[in-house]
Amino acid sequence: MLSNAFSIAGRIINQLIRDRRTMGLLIIAPLLIASIVGVSVPDKRILDYTAPAMLAMLILFFGFLLTGISFQRERSQGTLERLMAAPVSRLDVVSGYLMGFLLFALAQTLIIFFYMVYVLDINFQGDLWQIIVFQAIIGVGAVCLGTFTSTFARNEFQIMQFIPIVILPQFFLCGLLWPVEQLPEYLQWIAKFLPLTYGVDGIRAMMLEGESLLGVIKEVGVLAGFAAGFVVLASLTLRRGTSG
Amino acid sequence: MNDTAVAIDRLTFNYGKLRVIDDLSLEIPAGTSFGLLGPNGSGKTTLIRLLVGLLKPAEGSIQCLGRTPSSSNARLRGYMPQLPSLYAELTVKQNIDFFARIYGLRDRKQRESRVDEIIKLVDLWSKRKTQVMKLSGGMKQRVSLGCAIVHNPPLIFLDEPTVGLDPDVRVNFWDYFESLTRSGSTIVVSSHTMDDAAHCQKLIFLRQGKIIALGTPDELRSATGTSDATLEDAFLYFIRRSEEAQNVE
Repeated sequence: MLSNAFSIAGRIINQLIRDRRTMGLLIIAPLLIASIVGVSVPDKRILDYTAPAMLAMLILFFGFLLTGISFQRERSQGTLERLMAAPVSRLDVVSGYLMGFLLFALAQTLIIFFYMVYVLDINFQGDLWQIIVFQAIIGVGAVCLGTFTSTFARNEFQIMQFIPIVILPQFFLCGLLWPVEQLPEYLQWIAKFLPLTYGVDGIRAMMLEGESLLGVIKEVGVLAGFAAGFVVLASLTLRRGTSG
Repeated sequence: MNDTAVAIDRLTFNYGKLRVIDDLSLEIPAGTSFGLLGPNGSGKTTLIRLLVGLLKPAEGSIQCLGRTPSSSNARLRGYMPQLPSLYAELTVKQNIDFFARIYGLRDRKQRESRVDEIIKLVDLWSKRKTQVMKLSGGMKQRVSLGCAIVHNPPLIFLDEPTVGLDPDVRVNFWDYFESLTRSGSTIVVSSHTMDDAAHCQKLIFLRQGKIIALGTPDELRSATGTSDATLEDAFLYFIRRSEEAQNVE
């Protein structure tokens, strides 16, 4: 049933692997950001506290950026339209993209994670595999958010313009810079509707307090809900037959 | 076997308030090369996008091989868009192989053999491992054609397939299209050049989303009443006639 989705995912993986410059940037960019965070935070305890939230933030940012730009490029180059004229469903296309880009988003997360743990020497608790599964859930949401957002952009430049609208508010309101409880009440209310708030809460509980996935089941559920919502929205906005 | 490959009945399509296809009815016989000729903006690409199911009619109906175009019957159709619409980072072979998979050629050995056959057919065997981004425009057009026909569809829509091609490659393309129609496929080609029109067995002249003439190239030429009329003359003749008819209305 999902054979077309696997074909699309395989094609995306093949494409990115063959694009050596993009592959290089995919590895270097997260390491650069992780290094800046590591060097700029003077107190090791603050770094231990900040690092998990940064991890959640970076997977959302890179997942969104990679998918949003790639999907928009497919629209502008006509390859998406060609695909939509083929015997594929909208779900095939979205799930194919999801699988293909999730692999790279996860690879980036692992690079940042291991760099933070082994090079920047941050402390963490909890099971590594459970932390990775939680990051994957954030990544699914990021990839679907990128796919959905690309619907509203006419070119790659416009996708970049969506970063201050879609990503930066989450960055400021998720609790990464200061606790959500210290925000004005109306901003706390807005923060409740942002996926990164739950990503940061969940990953902090896992890495700082050693919680399992079950211990952060509320955050997992909300993030999965956001991801499912974005999958549905991305599928619905992927138009095959525009009525005229 | 059904003798009609495409049946269009009172088709209308609008982009916003602009009427792009206007109450158009047409039957395309199976096994022919059929040309959609007209200037830029006459509705050729929109008509092809309607025929492959990318757009839905505002009014009227379309039947391709007896079915309303949708993803469930897309295997019956091949579609070559106006832009090459290829994956630039992938090789010639990877592009054609991807579309072979998507169009249902699941058996690996059969698929590989068919992909190799198509690469040879579009004369790109020596470039099969080259990334598409490194190919010339004409070569990209050939890869795009390969992607459209790899699953051997009975009905093929080609949107301006010869744009930007060198004259010798253009001749090769038409030789190949004729071989496809001989084997029973129906080809619908859009073009704005009369060179392409001369190769079609039957064609329509489109203007402002309406058919202003339908016939074989010879019929259209002779309709002008001039013995040495070219297809360009014929096109201008039918434009004048449609303008006169509009003025009378």
